[in-house]
Amino acid sequence: MKIRARLPRLVAGGATLALALSLSACGSGTGGGSSDDGKIHVLVYGDASNKVEKQIVATFNKTSDVKAVLDTIPGADYQQKLQTIINTPQAPDVFFNWGGGSIQPFVKADLLMPLDDFIKDDPALKSNFLPSVFNSAVVDGKAYGIPMRGTQPVLLFNNGNVLDDAGVQPPKTWDELLSTVKTLKGKGVTPIALGGGDQWPTLMWFEYVYDRVAGPELFEKALGGEKSAWESPESKKALSMLKELVDAGAFGTNFDSVKYTNGASPALVAKGKAAFELMGSWYYAQQQQDAKDFAAKGLGYTTFPAVSGGKGDQADVVGNTNNFYSVLKKTKHPEAVEKFLKLMYSDEFVKAQMAIGNLPTTTNTEKFLDTSASPAYSHFQYDLVKKAPSFQLSWDQAYPPSAITPIHQAVQQFFNGQIDADGFIKAMQALPTE
Amino acid sequence: MTTETTSAPPAAGSRTPARRRSEGSYTAHVGRPGFAWAVPATLFFLIFAIAPLVMVAVLSFMSWNGLGSPRFVGMDNWSRVLDDPVMIKSIWLTLLVTVLGVAIQTPLSILLGVWAAGQQRNRAVLSVIYFIPLLLSSTAVSVLWRALLDPNFGIPAQATWLFGDGNLFGKQASAIGVLAFVSTWQFTPFHTLIYQGAARAIPQVLYQAAEIDGAGRYRQFFHITLPQLRNSVVTSMILMIVGGLTTFETVLILTQGGPGTDTTISAYYMYQKAFKSFDFGAGAAIALVLVVAATIISLIVVRVSGYDKMRSSMEGL
Repeated sequence: MKIRARLPRLVAGGATLALALSLSACGSGTGGGSSDDGKIHVLVYGDASNKVEKQIVATFNKTSDVKAVLDTIPGADYQQKLQTIINTPQAPDVFFNWGGGSIQPFVKADLLMPLDDFIKDDPALKSNFLPSVFNSAVVDGKAYGIPMRGTQPVLLFNNGNVLDDAGVQPPKTWDELLSTVKTLKGKGVTPIALGGGDQWPTLMWFEYVYDRVAGPELFEKALGGEKSAWESPESKKALSMLKELVDAGAFGTNFDSVKYTNGASPALVAKGKAAFELMGSWYYAQQQQDAKDFAAKGLGYTTFPAVSGGKGDQADVVGNTNNFYSVLKKTKHPEAVEKFLKLMYSDEFVKAQMAIGNLPTTTNTEKFLDTSASPAYSHFQYDLVKKAPSFQLSWDQAYPPSAITPIHQAVQQFFNGQIDADGFIKAMQALPTE
Repeated sequence: MTTETTSAPPAAGSRTPARRRSEGSYTAHVGRPGFAWAVPATLFFLIFAIAPLVMVAVLSFMSWNGLGSPRFVGMDNWSRVLDDPVMIKSIWLTLLVTVLGVAIQTPLSILLGVWAAGQQRNRAVLSVIYFIPLLLSSTAVSVLWRALLDPNFGIPAQATWLFGDGNLFGKQASAIGVLAFVSTWQFTPFHTLIYQGAARAIPQVLYQAAEIDGAGRYRQFFHITLPQLRNSVVTSMILMIVGGLTTFETVLILTQGGPGTDTTISAYYMYQKAFKSFDFGAGAAIALVLVVAATIISLIVVRVSGYDKMRSSMEGL
């Protein structure tokens, strides 16, 4: 009796946890085929951009015998949910992703269709897109993705009013940045707003400084499995520069308690409590939504400063190159899928994306830049991306998903002093590359 | 019972002893449901608790990223998990958060509960207000406190004498403090409710007798109320411990395990491994470690507190 009464207690504590894991295990099954209801299923991240995707699907369905259906997964858990369904009968035919590491596990599991045959059929599927963007969905020399939303380079945003008050200009070089930081600090302003609580905004600083100091090759090597790249003198130089910036008080002292995602760090800039923020191009729209007056009057943007003596071209950019559509190998309607993908460089697509503030990366985008809601900003971004010798995909998206948490932890720990340069190098060398 | 069956005479005997035996067992089991009654609950428990647990145990010996089929890797996950400094740290953090929760919430909720059991003016209104946090989801509570504790626009900005630069989430001690505070804020009302009910059930005659004997309020509290609440304390503590060991949403939203791994408690670490890194084998191993730890802890609590032979606290009344 006693034992029987105790048994439930023994297990109850862990049962909840166990359930969460095993439920997903139940869902896996043995592959199966794409659901074949004579349609192609297009799975996208559910957000405001779905408006365009719906429109494109409708356009496609007007002329195609095989109809397309748009499915959305809302919220930030897209990658998690995608990974749990992609090898099940519920898998889509075409799905949204971030290129790079986000599709690498699927390529390794032999689930994706290389798009080379499509491109042979219609070379425009490659040539009509900016190469720096298109290439970030190339895995092991094969193309796996067609760009399908807007590009999101990381830019250095500023509050022009704060800069005017302090009598400084946006910095063009790293040394100027350091002296600007000093001046701003003297004025009692936090020089740079940083949403360190989210961790990925901190990572953006690493991406740019590494690129400027060592060029894009260092990261490419490291990602390719050449882990000694992290110990190179360039890597150490980049880390010491970042350390210098943090120690100079550029980010204040409480950046780890500030988040970007709850609007706290953009508010610092909008309210004039901070002068700069390094953020993806969506920042512009974010400020227009959160702080209309500031966005109209004070919001400025520049490229990341150059580093003298660095190997990286100062025209290089980092960020999210674009989102992509990838195709599952087991799709029953490859011809229909190919036809659908061709719409991603159509004029209709470009116009619709521009109308909602996205900046597509097709070669015909240039024609429509003046139709955008903020033409000057669109021109700036488009020129930047088009001319960039290298567009480095964010590290946490270039690496496979298993590396995301360790990367985020390492950058946070380096910025708050929990680990030093050697600790950071070790952490990066421990990352799984496949 | 069993001895009786084996010692029963073989087929040669008449039918009478058999009938007598069945009558006997009938009377012995009067008022007690047979095993059939427990079948639905047992099945439910098997399907939703034991089976998943077994599957997790199997999964902990496999390498699986959610794609393709799992592959047996022997002890690989286990040696990785048990060697992992973050895992070891996460266990200590889990224990710390649990102990903090119990240590802070128990006295608070006993005092509040006993107070709420009284008949004072405005008591009902205030009790309702105290109860509100419990009605909110953990997620909402965490989002709320994350915003309230923003260093530039939240409470810390208004009380720099207390919070300094407000870097609450940037240091381990303060980040854990925030976690403990937020769960206290959220769950104290629930435990208060337990104690309120228990305190109401204490017979008034005890207090009346104590008053005649000249015991003051404090003596009454320590010598009547507290001992009478003993069983409720055990119940509430077990709930707190289970809650503490499985703390998840607050960490996910408030600290994301940071700074670095300083608030990565085991349940959150399991989530990171399984659902962010898609290392389901390691996630399963961590889950099992948690199951074992939770089991050991609840066994200790049950033993020490005498929960398994819980006696009435009103003998002689």
